[in-house]
Order: sequence, then structure tokens, then C-alpha cells
Amino acid sequence: MKKVITGNQAVAYGVILSRVDVISAYPITPQTTIVEELSELIASGRLNTRFLKVESEHSAMAALIGASTGGVRCFTATSSHGLAYMHEMLHWASGARLPIVMVNVNRAIAPPWNIWSDQSDSLSQRDTGWIQFYCENNQEVLDTILQAYRIAESIKLPVMVVLDAYVLSHTSEPVEIPTMEEVDPFIPPYCPEYPIDTQEPMAFSMIATPEHFLEFRYKIQKAMEQVPEIAKKVDDEFRSRFGRGYGAIERHGKEEAEVILMTSGTVTSTSRIVIRKLVGEGYSIAGIKIKRFRPFPSEEIYEAIKGAKKLAVIDRNLSAGVGGIFAQELRASLYSREERPQVFGFISGLGGRDITPELIEEAIQYTVEHPRPEEEILWLGLKK
Amino acid sequence: MTKQFVFKGASEMPMISISLGHMDWNKTGTWRTQRPFYEDKTPPCSAACPVGNDIVAFIQKITQGDFEGAWNLIKEENPYPGICGRVCFHPCESKCNRRDYDEPIVIHALERFVSDFASNLNKKIEKVPGVRKEKIAIIGSGPAGMSCAYHLVKLHYDVTVFESSSLAGGMLRIGIPSYRLPKNVLDREISNIVALGVEIRTGIPFGENLKLDSLKDYQAIFIATGTHRSRGLHIPGEKGKSVFNGLDLLRKINLGNKVKLGDKIAIIGGGNTALDVARSVIRLGKKATILYRRSKEEMPAFEDEIVEAIEEGVKIRYLVNPIRIQQKDSLKRLECMRMELGEKDESGRRRPVPIPNSNFFIEEDSVIIAAGEEIEVSFLPKGMEEREGIVLTQRDGSTGIKGIFAGGDLVSNQRTVAHAIGSGKKTALAIDCYLKGKDSEEAIRQILIGEGPSISIFRHLYPDERPRNPHVVTFEELNTDYFEPSKRRRESKGLVKKRIKGFGEVTSGFTESITLEEAERCFSCGTCNGCENCYVFCPDASIIKTEEILSHQVDYDFCKGCGICFSECPRGAISLKEEAR
Repeated sequence: MKKVITGNQAVAYGVILSRVDVISAYPITPQTTIVEELSELIASGRLNTRFLKVESEHSAMAALIGASTGGVRCFTATSSHGLAYMHEMLHWASGARLPIVMVNVNRAIAPPWNIWSDQSDSLSQRDTGWIQFYCENNQEVLDTILQAYRIAESIKLPVMVVLDAYVLSHTSEPVEIPTMEEVDPFIPPYCPEYPIDTQEPMAFSMIATPEHFLEFRYKIQKAMEQVPEIAKKVDDEFRSRFGRGYGAIERHGKEEAEVILMTSGTVTSTSRIVIRKLVGEGYSIAGIKIKRFRPFPSEEIYEAIKGAKKLAVIDRNLSAGVGGIFAQELRASLYSREERPQVFGFISGLGGRDITPELIEEAIQYTVEHPRPEEEILWLGLKK
Repeated sequence: MTKQFVFKGASEMPMISISLGHMDWNKTGTWRTQRPFYEDKTPPCSAACPVGNDIVAFIQKITQGDFEGAWNLIKEENPYPGICGRVCFHPCESKCNRRDYDEPIVIHALERFVSDFASNLNKKIEKVPGVRKEKIAIIGSGPAGMSCAYHLVKLHYDVTVFESSSLAGGMLRIGIPSYRLPKNVLDREISNIVALGVEIRTGIPFGENLKLDSLKDYQAIFIATGTHRSRGLHIPGEKGKSVFNGLDLLRKINLGNKVKLGDKIAIIGGGNTALDVARSVIRLGKKATILYRRSKEEMPAFEDEIVEAIEEGVKIRYLVNPIRIQQKDSLKRLECMRMELGEKDESGRRRPVPIPNSNFFIEEDSVIIAAGEEIEVSFLPKGMEEREGIVLTQRDGSTGIKGIFAGGDLVSNQRTVAHAIGSGKKTALAIDCYLKGKDSEEAIRQILIGEGPSISIFRHLYPDERPRNPHVVTFEELNTDYFEPSKRRRESKGLVKKRIKGFGEVTSGFTESITLEEAERCFSCGTCNGCENCYVFCPDASIIKTEEILSHQVDYDFCKGCGICFSECPRGAISLKEEAR
């Protein structure tokens, strides 16, 4: 069934179809309507899910850690300061190997106060051991949530599904909504690795001395390394069941291109139009959409950029002192490779400023015209 | 201690750090530096109750719907809940911690409901077997005498009460009109005491038909003859025709005798007697004006009584003092002076001072003097000391004469029903100690409620049942996060038009549902009511539910002493002390 729904509604549909047992969340703009939708469904008895009211995002995640340890499927959603407030519990969820799925609606972190789209919130959490997916449209949002539970529960690591504030969260698009009967065989019931049995009490996440701590972290890294393979399997199965798939990255534009523009989230949609236009004008150019940020798709990207001389990256985020985080990760992933194209790191659209086709074209033109970037950070649309 | 695994490498290790067995061996209680423990404390209502009622405990029974259980608890301390629920000035409510939050609990109405509920059960009261050989004589069947008789008969003594009037009850019978205290309530609560085996011999005035010498058979005597002598005004004309004393008039009305009064009546005084007289004569179709020499703030009568009296048409003239009563034709002519308030006197109230040359006249058909009552000393035996209007006794009621005790209004200036009941109870304990050769002072000290002066005879009889720390819980010690503001329920009163047509009861009791609602408002200060906050909040699952007197216990093997139970307890029933190591 196709419905015209917002990104936040697409999230709610994804949660309903995934048969989530426990939701705990605290409202924050622009995430609020997700939880509103779900809590209303629960209150009216149409959704058989336990909703835990909490006084903060920290508690929301803590509650889910308890619930997930108890062996049930969990969901929460947040944004910006809410995500920052969860930080400690994010480490706990991954360290305890709990397959919690969370939606983060990208929003800038204050000050100055700002509620618009910016990836700084989710990218600040890149080292917490969470798998991260960035979505381009509302359909992808719904589909990614369904895939996220499969991946999380296979790998035993939590997954963050990320969408842009307003551009997706509050904008309606036609979305194909699968039925419960279609989704049920795709997401089997969750079976915890270590079920809780009150008759046989055990201690969870207790102390590990220096003797063993390193090995527990090694195991998390090994699990992360399995993600590309498992996520591909899940995506392939999804494609065969529902006719849609996404991959860790997606390449578009010219097949052999000298310049490749790398984007994430909704900027990709805009750049598709720009690239199509420039290819028509004879430019040797292609685009890559990065969907999976953690684990970083180094292999997939290296395969996709073969032959390219220059890579342009548009980051809607800033790690002050270094630059854009996608560009930084990309540079690091190329360092040990034989082919190392120049990386042009553009910063644009912070705090929800539109990244227009003109700005994207400006970035491409700059990359085409310069053999190497004149500066580490190239500001796009900056009013000096 | 269990064994710790050492793994060779990651491939052997589980995915997360996890124990393979339970962790009960890890007695985390050893980490504790402070120790929480359940300890009931004293609620301010009980501490303020002159009777010594365990108010929080009986309200808890009400909230459980166990009205009979509430009745059984009240009965331990107070034989007169139906009376107290109606006429007590309820100091418990003045001290209720809920007063600092919104409005105090309507404790008196709850007590009244429980008593009325129990009387409707019509349970037969069994006689207490009087196994002890000692006989005790009680002189006066007012609340002090009957309370003393009640507790003594429960202690298996042979008790006889001597009453000068033809009916038992003392001031409750002759002083309090039936629109405040219906006679059937009084009769019922007296007969409950008689049913236990107390003998009341009426029509035997002490000092006239009853001499102390004739009580030689009795091993102890309790004198509780009250204050039945009206205080005079000491002004010219007060002994004249158509000038009555308030208490005599009330006695006649309350015993159903005819009274002859004019239509317009002046009542002189500001105490409860003056109000009772005024409201009674209004019910006889008269017009009543109270003359009081101070202002409303200094009036000793209960606030409710003043309000109801005004509703019923009683006029009150403040700062007016009669200095002479004259006869003018058939009228009484009162010469009065206007007063103003001066410095505070020994009672703490501002002293009325006459305004010079302010004399004026009031004309009425009758004048009733209700300026207070005094004790009758003429019949008191030699050796009993009287000073400033009261008989001197020890705290336990003992007088200068061995075996003779005194109590009630006779020995105190706090002349209320509740104080009289408390005095009778304390003396019952003292007589018990006297006859058994025990130290009554020590016995009283053991069972003081809070700092006293009230005592709990229940704790004397069952010293191991629910001990209480004497500390009186303050409002600041409660965790009011768990309470919602709510209004105090009101008792309904009859329409004024109907009220003044007779002596029917003015105030109606609570219904069962309102009783339950009102009881739910009780904070249960210092007394665990099993709300389970501690059980829910304890992060170490170290609260154990038990079937014991204290329904919860701390598992000290695992309690780390975080103190969350202590701070989340809404009612201060958990204490925290430093761990002794």
C-alpha cells in the first residue's frame, strides 16, 4: 500500500512492522512526532507495545538496555541534545551487545540554538560502537528500520538510523508500506544470546580486568567487520522480497569519471540532478551516496572510485580543528591504498542552511578546476 | 566466593562479561557505610491527642476497609470515640502535617464514622472476668471517671462508679446539649463500659450520701467530680429573680426538665457553656444575646460553635461587661461598660479594661450567667491540696492521701472531654501500678506518646507490638512528591431553619465512601503503610517483604546503604544511621 507520509511517520510504520516490544523515548524537536505517533497508537490499544515514560534520553536508553537484556525488541528515537545526553548509555548498549535500534533525526547542537538539519549530533557518536545508516528519502527510512533489526540482531550490536531534520522528518512523500504478513518472515522473533532466567540468576556486564577487557573490545571490532557481509545479505534478501535495495554506498552518474562527488542524506537527491545535468554537458563526473557510515565502507568505496582522480566530499557537519567528518574518514581509508585520489573536503549547510544545486555545482567546478585543494577545508556558501 | 575464569584468548570467551552462576556470594552489604532500617515514628496527631488515640493506625485500617479493625484499635485507648468524634476540639487536626500541605485530615469525622459503624454491628460485648480481688471506687461518672473505670475493668478490677445525678455521664450528660451530642450516643458508649462489668450507682452525691469513710472496702478511690459550680460575676443583682446560672439551666434542659424563661435573654460569658446556653434557648424559641467582655479572638469557645451559634441567630456583643443587674418592672436592666483590650494577662490573652464613662444599659427578660465553672471543694477529704482552683496531684493522679487519686476537670485547667478521658486512663494505669506495688512514674514514661503527656495503654499491655520512636515526624521530613493536593471533606450540617426547631443533631457524619476518601488523604506520618516505594526503588533488590509486624525488612547481606529507600519513603518510616564498624 502506498501512502503519502512524512519521514517521521515512515519511522513509526517501520517500528510497527518490526513488532517492537518496548519503546522508551523522551520528546525533542524534530523527533517528537515519531514518538507522538507511536504513543498514541499504544494508548489507543492499536499497537501492542510497552511504552516506558522517562524523564530524559539517558533514562530512555538505560530503560531499553534493561529491556533488551531481558530479551525483547526495543526502539527509541531522539535528536541532537537528546542524543548527546544518551552518550554514556550508547557505549553501554554496544558494550553489552544489545541489538537496540534507534532513529536519530539529524539536528544541530546548540549554541547557538538551532533545530535544523546538521549531522554533527550523530557523527559525534561515531566512536560509541553503534552501526550507523544515513537515509536519503522516506521510503529508505522505513526500509532501513526493517533491515536494521535484522542486522542488529544478527551481529548483536545496536543500530542508529539517521534522517535529516524537516527535509525528511516533516516532509511528505509517497512511501510503499509493506504489510505485516510480508515483513514477518523477513524479521524473525528476537532470541537473546543470554536470556534472563530469574531461577538462574547471573550478573551481566560485570567487571572485566585488564586480563580480558581488550579481548571484549576485539570481539566488538570483529563483529563490526562482519557487518558489510551480513548487511549485504540482508539487503539482498530485502530486495528479493520487496523489490528495493540500497547497498552500503550507491554510485550514480558517469561510469568512468575523473571527479566523484560523495554525499550522504538528502544532499544526495539534489546532487543527482546536478550531476545528471553536468554529465549532459560533457563533464567526466559521477556521484557516490554513502548510506552506511559505521562501519565505514572503505572496501566498497575503494572499488567504486577506481580510475577517479579527484574526490569531492560535502559534509553537513564540522569537527572543528579538522574539518568534515566524512572527508576525514575517507582520507584515512585511502591512506594505505595504492590509488589515492585527491580529497576535496567541502563544508556546507550547517544548522539547516539549504545546500542548493548552485552550491553543489560550485563544489564540482572547483574540484574540476583545481589539481589539489588549496585549503584543507573548503567552505561552500560561506558569507565572509 | 566462586572461581574466576581465566581465558586463554578471545575465542574461548563469551560475547559479554557475564557470570556463569549467581552472584549471591558477593555480599555487597559489606560496602555499606550507612544503614537504613524500618522504624515507625510518632505522628503529630497522636502526640497532640490528649486521649492518646493511635490515629494513624486506625486510619490505615479504614483505608483497608476494615472499619471493625479501626474500632478495635480505637477502643484500646478510648471508650468514647462516638463522643470524641462529635465534641472533641480535635487538637490532632491542628497538628496534622497535612495542614502544611493543603488541609488537615478530618480526623474527628473518621473516628465518629468508625464508632457509629461499630454500634450498628450490634455486637454483644462480653463481660471482662474480674479475677483480681481489689475493689476500686470511682466518684463521678463523667469522661474521666468512666475512662478510668473502663481501663480498670479491662485490667480485671472490680470497679464501682458513684454518680450524684440520676443519670450517668457527668458534664457530657448535663453540660453538652443533644444537638451536639445526642443522648443515644452517650447512652450507648456508657452502656458499652457497663457491659464490661462496671457497676454505676447513680443518685449518690459525694459528701452528702457518700462519705469517704464508707469506702473502706475499696483499695483505691478515684475522685473525678469535675467542675459543677458556676462562677459568679460578683456584681450587684446577680442573685436576683430571673437571673440564672448557665450550668443549672443546661442541666435542666438536658435532663428534660421544664425551664421558665422570658423571651429576650442575655447570656454573660464567652466559653462553651455560654454558647451552649445561647443555642439551647434559641431552640426553646427565645432570642439570645451573648455579652462578652473581650473580643472574638479571646473567646474560649470552640470556633465551630461560635460559627454555628451566629448562623442560628445568636447575637454576640463583644467588649461589653455588665457591672450591675437591676429589676425594672418585669425586665432585667443590665448596666454595662464598654471595654478595650489592654496588656496580656497570665492566660496569654489581652486583658479587658473598662473605658471610663462608657456606661450604658441593656434591657432583657432574663439574664443567664455563664462565666465559667469551678471545682467544688467542700467535700474533698483533708490532705488533698487545692491551689488556684485545681486539686494538686502527681503526674499519675495520686494525691497526698495514699490510695486516693484525682483526675479530670478537678485537677486541670485544660477542661476538655479529651483531657478528661486521658486523665482517667492515666490514673487507671497508676492505680494498677499502686495495687501491684509498681513504679507508676516509670510505667508512664515507658508509654508516653512522643514527649507526652498522653500515654498509650496499648503499649503498656503489648509492649512488643509496633514499637514507635518518640520522635514526632515533621512536615519537612516527609517526601511529599508522592502526595497529590486534595481538599478536606466537609461534614454536612442541617438547615438552620430546621436546626433551631429542636435539639436534633446539627452535624451529619461521613458516608462510607467519603470516609474512605478522606482516610486516603492521610500521610501516615512515620508509620509504614506498605506503599512499597522502598521495595520498588531499591536498586539492589534488598527490601524483603515479610509477614511480621513490620511488613518490610532490609536484606543487610546486600544493602549497600545508598539511602534511596530512606529518601523515597513518603512518610519517614525508614531511618538511616551510620554503620558501626
